[in-house]
Amino acid sequence: MAGTVESTIKFPYKRSLGPVLGAFMTALTEQRIMGIRSGGRVIVPPLEWDPDTGVELAHDFVDVGPAGTVESWTWVAKPTAQHPLDHPFAFALVKLDGADTALMHAVDAGSIDAMSTGMRVAPRWKAERKGHITDLDAFVPGETPETHEGGGAEEPVTMMDYDATITYRIPTTANQLRSDQASEQGRFLGLKCPICNRTYTGGRGYCPIDAIELGEEHEVDLPQKGVITNYTIITPTPYPGQTATEPFSRVHVWLDGTDVVLGYQTLLDVPNDDVHIGMRVEAVWASEGEKVDKDPRMEGNLIGFLPTGEPDNTDPDLVNRLH
Amino acid sequence: MAHQPCAIVGVGQTHHKTRRWDVSLGGLVREAAQRALDDAEMTWKDIDAVVIGKAPDLFEGVMKPELYLSDALGAAGKPVFRVHTAGSVGGTTGIVAAHHVESGRHKRVLAVAYQKQSEGNAQFALGSGRGFSIGAGGAFAPFMRSYMYRTGAPAEIGPMVAVKDRKNALKNPYAHLKIEDISLEKVMASPMMWDPVRFLESCPSSDGACAVVFTDKEGGEAAAKAGRQPAWILGSAVRSEPSQFPGRDPVAPQGAADCAADVYQQAGITNPLEQIDCAELYVPFSWYEPMWLEGHHIAEFGEGWKMVERGDTEIGGRFPVNMSGGVLSSNPIGASGLLRFSEAALQVRGMAGEHQVEGANVAIAQAYGASAQYFSMWVVANSLDPFGK
Ligand SMILES: [Zn+2]
Repeated sequence: MAGTVESTIKFPYKRSLGPVLGAFMTALTEQRIMGIRSGGRVIVPPLEWDPDTGVELAHDFVDVGPAGTVESWTWVAKPTAQHPLDHPFAFALVKLDGADTALMHAVDAGSIDAMSTGMRVAPRWKAERKGHITDLDAFVPGETPETHEGGGAEEPVTMMDYDATITYRIPTTANQLRSDQASEQGRFLGLKCPICNRTYTGGRGYCPIDAIELGEEHEVDLPQKGVITNYTIITPTPYPGQTATEPFSRVHVWLDGTDVVLGYQTLLDVPNDDVHIGMRVEAVWASEGEKVDKDPRMEGNLIGFLPTGEPDNTDPDLVNRLH
Repeated sequence: MAHQPCAIVGVGQTHHKTRRWDVSLGGLVREAAQRALDDAEMTWKDIDAVVIGKAPDLFEGVMKPELYLSDALGAAGKPVFRVHTAGSVGGTTGIVAAHHVESGRHKRVLAVAYQKQSEGNAQFALGSGRGFSIGAGGAFAPFMRSYMYRTGAPAEIGPMVAVKDRKNALKNPYAHLKIEDISLEKVMASPMMWDPVRFLESCPSSDGACAVVFTDKEGGEAAAKAGRQPAWILGSAVRSEPSQFPGRDPVAPQGAADCAADVYQQAGITNPLEQIDCAELYVPFSWYEPMWLEGHHIAEFGEGWKMVERGDTEIGGRFPVNMSGGVLSSNPIGASGLLRFSEAALQVRGMAGEHQVEGANVAIAQAYGASAQYFSMWVVANSLDPFGK
């Protein structure tokens, strides 16, 4: 029985707008929609380069609209959090008066029955504008724009924030599921290739060397103890979502009696200065049902490794056991 | 050779900086591409196809940038090809563009590779958006530690590479990091970032782009006749291997060795050290210079660090490496591979300015990516027959 693992990634990206889109965004703060002349036509939103010839366009800007005509549209019956409006609306191609190309934006028409190709729409502006396409809240049916008192941005707009979020689901294979279940019981499950005898962890259901699938019949239980073969101490750098503040170690652990080396593992309760090659360690697992904020490099419910207190392995060649 | 000859007749790059907030993403790639076209004495309409490379989309949060950038690259209505092979992508982008010509399908092809690191955060992206990202430095640190142990190289070798590349960067007007007072002491005193690698032994985060114009034999010969020396591609190769399996040696990966063997064979190189005049190798962390000298069979295993120690890899040395200042001095990740490849071309064209290696007839370039598992290389020369076969 396979399931899925859901993950969400978000990041506040920055966009430098350049001279043309910067001017467009600045105009939006002033409740104006601006295009650029390219030969005989006016392109909206403005482009930096002629889409036909690739030649850089002179910054010959021209105001368009405020009203325009819907050229095509689609109804969004169930908006998500990422849509511009929180109630049903249309995405439409709006050809503003004076423009030769259409701008895609939202039309807030109330109902699908109010939408038609060829209908006239005008912009409804937001009261607070920052130089973003959403300063134009939506288009509404009719000829009259809905504007607010107050001017535009004090300085020309040059940057744009883009808060990206994506949620995705990765299917878990049957192998992965059994590996996760084993880890919930505090066991390391390996898959041993019958051709080359290499052992793989984490429910990796194939041998990349022999290009064969590995399944339940190839499963082996792996030992909990091992030795540190290599390590690094990482100085954390700040970024959105960073939770590390102090330098931290990551260690390679070679499990006893196997050819399995787990790379970049968490070492628990050992000051960075004491981390060394040859140290004997043992796996520590989260108790059943305990939720673990997993580092993707760690197996299932594995929290990390603790020193066993046994004497060091003094083989100097350990450092080369990287895989 | 089973394929058509291919010549490089134009090379361009941006000034690489921490933040290029003066231009849009399109403006950034455009700047490099325009310089390459100017160098080739071509216009946008002369280009038949465009090949684009960059590192993961998570870096800038622009999905399918090859579509978004088609206007900026004059590519509307032309074939556009996106390449993605992690850190080696810039090199692979150049090779794929060359294939477009070598196959006989296109006559003039533009390759562009870029990264605008300031729009996102590489540590974030490499850590899949989670805390405790180990980054590239953390990932490669254990490999470097193993190299140091295995070869018995003195601790100063890495810092020596860092000093050399940073000195070379002072000669390159496009390089990002310019550290005028660089010294061994200064590198050794810089903070340990990813033990055993120090801050000044590591690459910066850069915004930048690189572009190369490729043409066929006729185009290359016409450029030569007009007094514009082309760089001829004598061989190119890519290899990859799984990121991990028991028995893999990431210090001297099989993929790197196979890639080198292939490209030398294509170019007729039997003694790399003697037949190649200089190299641009992908060295984001100092120790990778000796590691790749050995990994690509320029030096025997354990001999690469001695070349560094003797000063062989300096400009004016026996085998100059990273004359441009390398990845250590400019790292717009997706572009970094193509920057290596284009510097090799500049060298054999005699157009490298202050960082020119005298008498450079044959040069190699290399890039690698991900967990030291993707490799791309090419050999370029100032003639199709530099060894007088
Ligand atoms: Zn196998």
